[in-house]
Amino acid sequence: MPSSNPLPPKENALFKRILKCYEQKQYKNGLKFAKQILSNPKYTEHGETLAMKGLTLNCLGRKEEAYEHVRRGLRNDLRSHVCWHVYGLLQRSDKKYDEAIKCYRNALKWEKDNIQILRDLSLLQIQMRDLEGYKDTRYQLLMLRPTQRASWIGYAMSFHLLEDYKNALNILETFLDQQQKGSNFDYEHSELLLYQNLVIQESGDLDEALHHLETNQNQIVDKLTFKDNLGQLHLKLKQFDRSSKYFKELVRRNPENTDCYKKLIQAMQITEPKDIVNFYLYYAKKYPRASPPKRLPLNYAEGDQFKTLVDAYMRKALSKGVPPLFVDLSSLYNDKSKVEIIEALLLQYVEALKKVGKYSESEVNNGPKEPASALLWVYFYLAQHYDYLNDSNKALNYIDDAIEHTPTLIELFVTKGRIYKHAGDPQKAYRWLEEAQALDTADRYINSKCAKYMLRADLVKEAEETCAKFTREGVSAMENLNEMQCMWFQTECALAFQRLGKYGEALKKCHEVDRHFSEIIEDQFDFHTYCMRKMTLRSYVGLLRLEDVLRGHPFYFKAARCAIEVYLHLFDEPLKDESAEQDILTENLAPSELKKLRNKQRKAKKKAEQESAQQREAQVKRDQHHKSRQQGDVEADAPQLDELIPDKLARVEDPLEQAIKFLYPLQRLSQNSIETHLMAFEVYYRKKKGLLMVQSLKRALKVDSKHPKLHSCLIRFNRFVAENKSTWDPSVQQVVAKESQPFFNGKDAKTLNKEFLTDHATSLRATLEGARMMYHLDEKCQSQALNLVTNIDNKYQDVNNEICTEILRSLKRGDFGSCDGETEEYVQRCQERFPFSAAYRPPCAADGPISGGGSNHASGNEENCNNSN
Amino acid sequence: MNIRCAKPEDLMNMQHCNLLCLPENYQMKYYFYHGLSWPQLSYVAEDEKGKIVGYVLAKMEEDQEELKHGHITSLAVKRSHRRLGLAQKLMDQASEAMVECFDAKYVSLHVRKSNRAALNLYKNSLKFETVEIEPKYYADGEDAYSMRRDLTEFAKRIKSLNEE
Repeated sequence: MPSSNPLPPKENALFKRILKCYEQKQYKNGLKFAKQILSNPKYTEHGETLAMKGLTLNCLGRKEEAYEHVRRGLRNDLRSHVCWHVYGLLQRSDKKYDEAIKCYRNALKWEKDNIQILRDLSLLQIQMRDLEGYKDTRYQLLMLRPTQRASWIGYAMSFHLLEDYKNALNILETFLDQQQKGSNFDYEHSELLLYQNLVIQESGDLDEALHHLETNQNQIVDKLTFKDNLGQLHLKLKQFDRSSKYFKELVRRNPENTDCYKKLIQAMQITEPKDIVNFYLYYAKKYPRASPPKRLPLNYAEGDQFKTLVDAYMRKALSKGVPPLFVDLSSLYNDKSKVEIIEALLLQYVEALKKVGKYSESEVNNGPKEPASALLWVYFYLAQHYDYLNDSNKALNYIDDAIEHTPTLIELFVTKGRIYKHAGDPQKAYRWLEEAQALDTADRYINSKCAKYMLRADLVKEAEETCAKFTREGVSAMENLNEMQCMWFQTECALAFQRLGKYGEALKKCHEVDRHFSEIIEDQFDFHTYCMRKMTLRSYVGLLRLEDVLRGHPFYFKAARCAIEVYLHLFDEPLKDESAEQDILTENLAPSELKKLRNKQRKAKKKAEQESAQQREAQVKRDQHHKSRQQGDVEADAPQLDELIPDKLARVEDPLEQAIKFLYPLQRLSQNSIETHLMAFEVYYRKKKGLLMVQSLKRALKVDSKHPKLHSCLIRFNRFVAENKSTWDPSVQQVVAKESQPFFNGKDAKTLNKEFLTDHATSLRATLEGARMMYHLDEKCQSQALNLVTNIDNKYQDVNNEICTEILRSLKRGDFGSCDGETEEYVQRCQERFPFSAAYRPPCAADGPISGGGSNHASGNEENCNNSN
Repeated sequence: MNIRCAKPEDLMNMQHCNLLCLPENYQMKYYFYHGLSWPQLSYVAEDEKGKIVGYVLAKMEEDQEELKHGHITSLAVKRSHRRLGLAQKLMDQASEAMVECFDAKYVSLHVRKSNRAALNLYKNSLKFETVEIEPKYYADGEDAYSMRRDLTEFAKRIKSLNEE
């Protein structure tokens, strides 16, 4: 329907020019024409002109005015499809997709066959996964534009996504029948055929899929996908000979693809490990340059054969000098007997190389000596080997031997740092990475590792400065890394801030990561149209499916876990005032030290204020710069997100609700991780939501009923029910009682805990949970509980630095009440047991981080650190 | 290590690998753009746990004026996985796909003048030739060598192999 207030010819011509200016992004001119119409007294309130003016203003970043104009325009002309369409576009640019869909639907009420609005609507529907709505809209588009390729493809795809394969295939077939056969090199046609094949496969008709591929062989240019599909289809249909044929071809084409060998083994129906070894040995001869047929038999060989093979494999790599040899073999370390064989061989190499320059003393008279570097690579390997086995002492000895042999090899310093990291000394670890970094400042990988180690040592500023060597000039490194979606860095920052008790800063980083995920989900938008044109439909469907589970990525999990932990902490111990954040740092300081610290804090605060003032100024400048650029031709499409202010984040009123926002995606996409459900329990325990606690516990039990942390949840839940059930609605009581029956078998918390401790008497990790609960249930049991976790000498089989550090944290946190004396003794014992770990040393570096500096400087500080103990 | 064609779900891990290794970084959308325009051309190297340790991100240049050719947007192998020949293997697979799916006649790339290790790989192992120097190509002002590798011989070899 036309506007209720049509313009006369002159004004109408101006209006058309506004539209044109909008399309061509000449926003300033657009505003000029709008002004000309609106300055005519008859048309000051012309709805469509006001709406278009608003839309143009939005593109210039003037959002508030934009909304005001568009809404006014719409009020003045509620029956104009233009006004509704414009309101929809405005909402869309603000990412309010549901609202935008409503607007488009209203626009279509007045102009039901408008192609542009239908297209815009279909984009939002697929973006929001309103698949039924998408199908309807695509149907209308097909009816209106039956000659366009995209109309058919879009309609077919809507059925495919709804898993209505029959209709999807019918439409594709009808469409392909009308198509003329393309030339031999029609990539788009080839992609369309492969997409059609994907749909056939997903419909479950494998024979038809096979037939379809064979008939269209000549028109498919992507031979890799073609052969791979044929191979897999024949394999699924148990047509092994034909399957083998294709996988043999694929192995020849890419002898580095391990999947192809594995599929070929299936197709050849080889199952015995010794036959698999022979299979690979055959291909090792056939493709001498390929790695998998040399490496993979080591996974299957045993005993003497393994020894012979691994011996040859390692010698070759050691002579050639392949630094990743250990990384390459480390997946064999699940098998203890293989580890022993490897170790024995390496120790033999060391001795023989030192004495006769050969890998074995018995070979003294065969051929020339090995290169001098062979010994270096053996040392290097052994250092990593013992590090893996948690023998820090031996690992350090070998890495020092290696460094003495070749003092300039970067990898050696990286490894030395890693050994200290594993031994529990992040400070020393990062200094060795700094050393490595100094040897090759042009290598970003080393730079990144160095920054990561700094963050592990809680040195955020130093890490940022290190990263700044590779970020764009003119912007702060933090900002640039955020812009580039550098999630590893932001997550490590968040964890460092969490350890430092800077909860607001930690949350800021977690939210930044979360926003990357939102942005990446937004990113699909343009591809809905693009891929229909390009015909890369298989990849497009792959993208849609990926985006549906995007927050299942480990990067999201890590950031979300940190955020949830911080929010839980903020619920348990809300920030009191400005200095509260610092308190946890000062608890253990003597008065004089405290005074020093306070002074420093005052200075730091002043400096921070100055800096943030400068930053604000810079931000204003940047914004202006941004705006002036936008006035040119850049769209102001992205909505302005609220600034993340650490202090505001840390003082949020509803930390548990905030935690739940991070929790939901984990519950949906990371349900296989027990941590998801343990965190869910912690949230709902604090919210006193009995039913949701039951739900979390049931899910946790399903994932890993033996997980030690689950025990303390169960015990607390048992007690919670006992104390609260009388206040609940009878129906809730009933459900909780029924659902939690299998958890407890009618036993009370104390009995359950006692049984748990007896059942897990040899596991320190489990005993920690049992002992915590022992004290939780009855504070009179303090000394007994403490005794269980602080006497770590002989009864436990899983004592290591990590668990002992966790115990220390638990003691300091007050899980066992006040116990300074016991803690001190415990620390003493751990210090003897884990001499390399920094966790049990007094905080000698409290004066703050030592920045920069070469090796002398760094090791000098280590000396100080040790002396002051 | 396993070398295979990249899938949409690899793209985020490729971005991670890129951020660890190289100074030139891109937002996810640019990776999507590659993966959705030329899904056959990008390859990854992964370790036994499925972690990406190297990748090549590649595209076609679709300028009608020029001879059809591919372009390497980005190539990286983690330093912890060097000397396994991964870069060369990744490049060979990507080049083969360029020929097969898009009839590419050559493949081009840019490399920093100072990056001697990469230069050596391209020149000596992969037979790339320097076409010109592009002054101040990189954001930090460094010059780039613009290099090319002819793929016609490569195409013949593939063809004869396939006809065997």
